[in-house]
Amino acid sequence: MRICDLTPDELARRLLKTGVRWRAGPFVTRLHSEPRDFSDLFHRLYGAHRLVEADSSEVTDFHIALRRGRGVRRWWRPQIFFDLDGPTELAPFPLDHALPLFEWGFNYGIARRSNQYLMLHSAVVARGERAVILPGLPGSGKSTLCAALVARGWRLFSDEFALVRPETGLLHPLPRPIALKNDSIDIIRAFHPEAVIGPVFPKTRKGNVAHMQPPAASVYAEAETARPTWVITPRFQPQAPAELDPVPLDHGFMRLAAHSFNYELMGARGFATVARLTRSCRFFELTYGDLAEAVALLDDHTAQHEEAPP
Amino acid sequence: MRSAAPSPADWLLRAWRAPDSFAGMSAGTQDLVLRLARRSGLLAALGARMTRASCLETLPARIQDLFEGARVIAADRERSVRWEVNRVQRAFYGSGLPVILLKGAAYHLRELPMAQGRLTADVDLLLPEADLPLAEQRLRAHGWMTVTPDPYDQRYYREWMHELPPMRHRTRLSELDLHHAILPRTARLHPDSARLLQAAQPVTDHPGVWTLCPEDLVLHAVVHQFHDGDFSRTGLRDLLDLDGLFTHYGQQDAFWERLLERARLLNLTRPLDHALRCAARVGRTPIPDGVLSAARRASPASWPVRLLLDPLVTSTLLPRHPDQRRADPFTALAGWCLYLRAHWLRMPPQLLIPHLARKWARRWRFDVRPRRTV
Repeated sequence: MRICDLTPDELARRLLKTGVRWRAGPFVTRLHSEPRDFSDLFHRLYGAHRLVEADSSEVTDFHIALRRGRGVRRWWRPQIFFDLDGPTELAPFPLDHALPLFEWGFNYGIARRSNQYLMLHSAVVARGERAVILPGLPGSGKSTLCAALVARGWRLFSDEFALVRPETGLLHPLPRPIALKNDSIDIIRAFHPEAVIGPVFPKTRKGNVAHMQPPAASVYAEAETARPTWVITPRFQPQAPAELDPVPLDHGFMRLAAHSFNYELMGARGFATVARLTRSCRFFELTYGDLAEAVALLDDHTAQHEEAPP
Repeated sequence: MRSAAPSPADWLLRAWRAPDSFAGMSAGTQDLVLRLARRSGLLAALGARMTRASCLETLPARIQDLFEGARVIAADRERSVRWEVNRVQRAFYGSGLPVILLKGAAYHLRELPMAQGRLTADVDLLLPEADLPLAEQRLRAHGWMTVTPDPYDQRYYREWMHELPPMRHRTRLSELDLHHAILPRTARLHPDSARLLQAAQPVTDHPGVWTLCPEDLVLHAVVHQFHDGDFSRTGLRDLLDLDGLFTHYGQQDAFWERLLERARLLNLTRPLDHALRCAARVGRTPIPDGVLSAARRASPASWPVRLLLDPLVTSTLLPRHPDQRRADPFTALAGWCLYLRAHWLRMPPQLLIPHLARKWARRWRFDVRPRRTV
């Protein structure tokens, strides 16, 4: 059963009363939440995600609750808090920003806890069983490029996390809504008018944010891993023609280590995992001014070129 | 007052005591145990116990993943503790200052089984009081600085406490506490630091690194919890530290006799009695009956104190169900009583009352109440 199989009313009731258990990639979350507008938006953006029934023996990775501020804050500038197994250090958001708070808090929980994976701060998309890692600092356009590739049929792994299993070197999908920021909201709307994009949340700490619904097919395939094959660092430059510049492997290694949440934390294992990842990938820098051109270039390149030698 | 059904913490203790029982628990109970363990900072330690009992690999893959995620964090902490000890050795090199480790760092360097998966945050050192200025100077020269510049805090530590204001390394941000005693200057009990220093023992395989002798190591953990702690935040972890120490050293020949004798010598029979009783009753640590009664006879604590203390400690120490946001009134009251008790034992009232007033005033001004991290 999927989240969209519940009526919005039923979902809202469950979020308020019993909590809802659902799966995103390798993680099972139990979510409680109070605000109704969050519930309806969650229904839209996470509709394709699989419900985990109460009697299932699956262990829950994250117990999350979105809780309204109490006391005077119930009415005066109402707030929403993020609980992860109880109160956290995350500062509350205004009540009408429950979804950005949830996305941010969920990311925070994953990054803090899930050290069974090497976690890179990057978007990941795949064709078949070959995946492209798109690392990038905030604002480099990785989410935009990720959304555009997904709109053209690439399978969404994540716009935020590359999860690499140290034992196998494989990438695990974590399909969730793609967070589009500022100008990229309208760019994606124009690029892919059919995209389902939630409301724009103004003035978050990353500016204006809106969330694009992940393709259902990507969510259904959330258990299918892929081989990391290309690492492509996007760099948006107005007017520039789309170009792929190869990056030497040693730079590639440093880039992956630098974009990792837990490279240092994992110690020797982190080093071994990044080294293996580096050997299995080809590294490029993608400069682009036009999104359609960039997507076409990546489509072409990945279709034509062989992967790195074993 | 107590129901017959096992409380959430009972389940956690059951899994702790018998790791192979975890696999047989219902999915809901397993989930509860894992959540409680995580909230109490014990997930990695529980995983280490599962691994030692070879029952981790039989669990479902995603449960193993949870333990693995926690193990990586604990392993990183241990690595940094070892590195910090190495850096302190370097800072003290050639100065004649001893490197005597206390608490977590000592457990790790001694490679005690109970240290596996333990989340150790900082390094604690014991030094002769006369050596503190030199030690401080050396550490400053090697990049450590005092965390709190606040003059009241400085005075509080230097005049009243058993340690200097905590130091932090400029780049590595690791914390270091320099102790000259194991209880505050103002506390009711005064275990003689000279005796502790005299009995310290070198760590094999780590030239130049020392810890307290086993009996003193245990007694330090005992006073940390039962004379200087209020049981609330890390109560269960501290109790399970004691459990690990009692269990490990209890296997040595004549350990209990030496422990009781040492407690008498250091004037710590009262907290040792409380600690043994509490570990046996609450943590179900296997402690020989003879030891419990000998400790009781040696302790000056009267029976009403024991009768009162036990239920307070039990209810404060055991974590409640994670979905229960607030403590029930009895637990809240018990926590309050133990908080006052800890401070009462820490300082005489003429110091205590102005100190607490100051602390609370500051807390409300800046809202620096502790928040739980993930």
